Amino acid sequence: MSELLTAVAVIFIVAGPFLLFANRYALPAAPLLILAGIVAGFFVDETQALELAQFGIALLVFTFGVGIQLTSIGTVLADSELAALGQILVVGGLGVATGVALGVPPGEAVFLGVAVALSSTIVATALLQTELQTGLVRGRLGESIQFVQDLFAVGFILVVGAGVLELDPIVLQIGYGTVFLVAAFLVNRYAFGVMGRLAGDSDELMIVGVVSLLVVFIGSASAVGVPIVVGAFAAGLAVRHNTVEYLGLFNGLESIKDFFVAIFFVTVGALVVLPFVQMDVAASIEKLSLVVALVVLTVVLKPAVTVAILIYRGYEGRTATLTALSTDQISEFSLIIAIEALLVGLLAQAVFDAIVLAAAVTMITSTVTQRYSERIYWTLSARGIVSGSHDKIDELSDVPEGITDHVIVLGYGQKGRRIVEFCEERNHPYVVIENDPALRDDVRFDCEAYVFGDAMETYTWKKANAEEARVIVSVTGSEVVSRRLLALGYDAALVLRARDERTALSLLDAGATYVAVPDLLAGEQLIQHLRGVLDGELATEELRATILEAQGDP
Amino acid sequence: MVSEVALSLDLAIILLAATVAGFLAKQTGQPTIIAYILAGVVVGPVGLGIVEVTELTETLSELGLAFLLFLLGIKMRIDEIRHILAPIVKISLPQMAGVAAVGTGVSLALGFDTIESVIIGLAVMYSSTAVVIKMLTDLDETTTLHGKMDVGILLMQDVVVVIILAVLAAGRPDSATEVATTLAVVLTLVAIITVAALAASKYALPPVFRRVADNRQLFFLIALSWAFLFVFVSDNVNLFLAPLGITAYLSIEMGAFLAGVAIAQLPYSKELQDRVNPLTDLFVMIFFASVALSLDAGELFFYWEQAVVAAVVLMVGKFVIFFVLLSWQRFDSETTFFGSLYMIQVSEFGVVVAAAAVAGEFIGVEILGFLTLVALLTMGVSVYFFAFGDALFERAGPYLSRFEAEETFTEQKREYTDHAVVVGYDDLTRNVLGLLEDYYDDLVVVDRRTDHVAQLEAEGYDAVFGDIASSSIRKDVALEKADFVLSSSDSVDVGKKILRETSDDATVVLEANDPGDVRDLYDRGADYVIRSVSLSSDRLVDYLGALLEEPETFEDAAEHDAELLRDPRPFRDVHERMSGDLDD
Repeated sequence: MSELLTAVAVIFIVAGPFLLFANRYALPAAPLLILAGIVAGFFVDETQALELAQFGIALLVFTFGVGIQLTSIGTVLADSELAALGQILVVGGLGVATGVALGVPPGEAVFLGVAVALSSTIVATALLQTELQTGLVRGRLGESIQFVQDLFAVGFILVVGAGVLELDPIVLQIGYGTVFLVAAFLVNRYAFGVMGRLAGDSDELMIVGVVSLLVVFIGSASAVGVPIVVGAFAAGLAVRHNTVEYLGLFNGLESIKDFFVAIFFVTVGALVVLPFVQMDVAASIEKLSLVVALVVLTVVLKPAVTVAILIYRGYEGRTATLTALSTDQISEFSLIIAIEALLVGLLAQAVFDAIVLAAAVTMITSTVTQRYSERIYWTLSARGIVSGSHDKIDELSDVPEGITDHVIVLGYGQKGRRIVEFCEERNHPYVVIENDPALRDDVRFDCEAYVFGDAMETYTWKKANAEEARVIVSVTGSEVVSRRLLALGYDAALVLRARDERTALSLLDAGATYVAVPDLLAGEQLIQHLRGVLDGELATEELRATILEAQGDP
Repeated sequence: MVSEVALSLDLAIILLAATVAGFLAKQTGQPTIIAYILAGVVVGPVGLGIVEVTELTETLSELGLAFLLFLLGIKMRIDEIRHILAPIVKISLPQMAGVAAVGTGVSLALGFDTIESVIIGLAVMYSSTAVVIKMLTDLDETTTLHGKMDVGILLMQDVVVVIILAVLAAGRPDSATEVATTLAVVLTLVAIITVAALAASKYALPPVFRRVADNRQLFFLIALSWAFLFVFVSDNVNLFLAPLGITAYLSIEMGAFLAGVAIAQLPYSKELQDRVNPLTDLFVMIFFASVALSLDAGELFFYWEQAVVAAVVLMVGKFVIFFVLLSWQRFDSETTFFGSLYMIQVSEFGVVVAAAAVAGEFIGVEILGFLTLVALLTMGVSVYFFAFGDALFERAGPYLSRFEAEETFTEQKREYTDHAVVVGYDDLTRNVLGLLEDYYDDLVVVDRRTDHVAQLEAEGYDAVFGDIASSSIRKDVALEKADFVLSSSDSVDVGKKILRETSDDATVVLEANDPGDVRDLYDRGADYVIRSVSLSSDRLVDYLGALLEEPETFEDAAEHDAELLRDPRPFRDVHERMSGDLDD
């Protein structure tokens, strides 16, 4: 067995218990792998694993490239580019300043700035699963902020790839970068389909084909002196494709990525020189103070800046706070930038160590803040730290004077629309409550009465005159909101939605008039339909016609 | 900021060459293994000489072999192979002795001296694990009877390789006792590790993996960690035993295989197979491409005429020996034929044994070249026998059946057909299961959560843990043969995949949320696309209407629903109750 294989074996063996720990406490894998790396560093010579770690870096960036949907970039940018860029500029600036203040040379302090400015996509996506699935505003917002940051990271690596901050080499780098993007586009447009056809039904060939493509892009990048990260990103764009058609390919690439990315994180951890254990006290304290500064910047200052920017952009205090709390960690891209900078000598070991340690710490604290985000928001808002101004709600809402006996519909999604239609048909007065800025125009256009505000705020309900409402229907399915409504204790009948039966039961017990479990309701309809089909009494064509008609298809 | 550690150019060239060769092979209908090996020959010292063995390529090809065996281990359910253990032992030992005799005989006849001939005999008696398992996997025959027999025999051979390597590594033995001691130590070690693996799979792994299996990424990484633990222990067993004054070696393949076997006994192994497979494909490709990298042309072709003769004799000899032994164990003619046909090549382990013999100064480097060439030739030819085995059997079958025993060795296996498949167990599908049971004899549920699977099995349903996106799961539930499929996954990709695989006659019910997706799935042939949002919002509006306009109806319906919710049974017999309009 080669020494390298022994190193890989040790990496995975050490990682095992850490990953079990991650699973036990529902933590993301990345920070635990870094910690495993710190332990593994005592047993293996990490320089051996560096070569494999490079594949991890390449595959991380490659996957980011593969995931980009060109069509949705436009909407995403409109949504949160300011938030993301503002965050990068303000937090990054503060990071640089803090670094300089702590005695780090300005050239290296730039990397500290970048480190704190960028947030981790993989950690946040792991934590935000529910929010993303249920299409909550803050899920989408957080995701798009991270998207802009990741793009920025790739651009930053490209520019810094020039090695010096002078115009000519930077222009050259950008020129090469453009060439790579064009090549990626051409491959995507012409070569990829050909490859798919030639591979036939063989996932194996597709996988090795794409891996070779990645290697070619990386190889050409290093041949012309562009960072391999840029090559990997372009390769990702080149194979960005319909995932269904190539399901086997993308599932396969995920395995390969997981394998090498794990090696990457462990290697990063192994590169750390541990304070006190491997170095003297004075230097350790210096390094730790840098770590503390980075952690404070990331965990306290970055969310604060994000909240400020989002509130300025017209988001509710709660949405802004919860979104900000999903970005309070250091990104894997920061680690990539740091490791590359360390390898070419742009970064001192101490500063690198500080970034890696701070990344591991913030990725874990981020899980905690995410878990208690609601409580954090209430604490802040109770002390008036997050603004409680109602001007925005007043300005954006339109509720007829003296509306009573009305239906309040919380959430203007598909279900909400259906209920509004019903109310209009039957002439029941209603008020819609919504807080997604993306739906603002729809609501304003479609609805007679509406309130733009957060359902967690008492003022929103006051504005909708909930005191005198007849029925309150909440279709959001958020348990926190449901509990809040029950606690507010209005006289109106409360029709709530729950994601599962257990929640539904406990909401009923807590005093809800009716709790809809969508799957249960749908199940009732479904059983009726299926029995018809299985008995041969109901033709599927009939169902199809009804369903397509209902959604307005010919 | 260009990294100092550039990606290895050698590796890039090997990857590219092998990929190009792989695509060419696919286009011309040749097996990819041959393409990979030839790509290595072309770019390596024998051909262009632009690539040589580096630590990285060596590591990745070692990983390839380890992963291949790990993957194989994951597929080995003890319950499924227990009944063939006896024939495996009875066949493999005489087979190796027989082939070794043929190998030694032909070498002597070709003019090699006695020691060389004995070493050659010892080197050629194994069939190639890498080729056989790769081809069985590609042909999807690992779980057939002949597949399992071959795999079992290969593993027996693996144990023997380990022993022979241990003996060779100790240099020329002084006495028979020394050989016997080494033998005893290796066998004991294999036994200990096997027991450890099986004990772990019974006691330690189930609670661990039950927790982890729901998290795709962690599950995969922790399983790899487990595999590497075994690989590491096997490889370093010498270090652990050194204080006891014992010298012993185990192969990393053996460790990887046993780690896999331990996981195979858990219900979550299917999922893992699909995760490990792509990595294995990639690394095994590098393994095959590297086979020819360590020799130059002079060494490889020194005895080329002898190699061709030996290759032919060995292939015929191996086939006959396997055929006789398998028939003797009363396997049916098909199993006997394929079981023999697939094992005719000389293993890469033969090359490893020869290399060890060179290091121990038993033979010269030209013999190593000779054995490498024999291995390459026989592997190359045998791959075609895999590819055209069916055609051959069609012709030869009638003649072969006369060798068939009257009562052949059989095994039963559960096969679904005309059954119902339910994908995803949730509040939506749960209540439909009872309904489907009334209409179908066989009903199987696929779910990604271990607690769901346990719950379903406790209720007597057939349940499979895994993701329908993975092909082995689709095969397991015989999606192609299903008469009815209901999927509550709202991923359109999954829906399309199901539509692509099911037969035209099957009734396929899918779920989608986006109107465009509904349309799309209908266009692709779905029989019924559930829009759970619209189903439930229709129902919700009914309730709201009742609440506003007919409070009594509402109260009854709400009461009835609450009753349903309060029913503690996980499988309520509700489909009778859950239908009709609100006022029913």
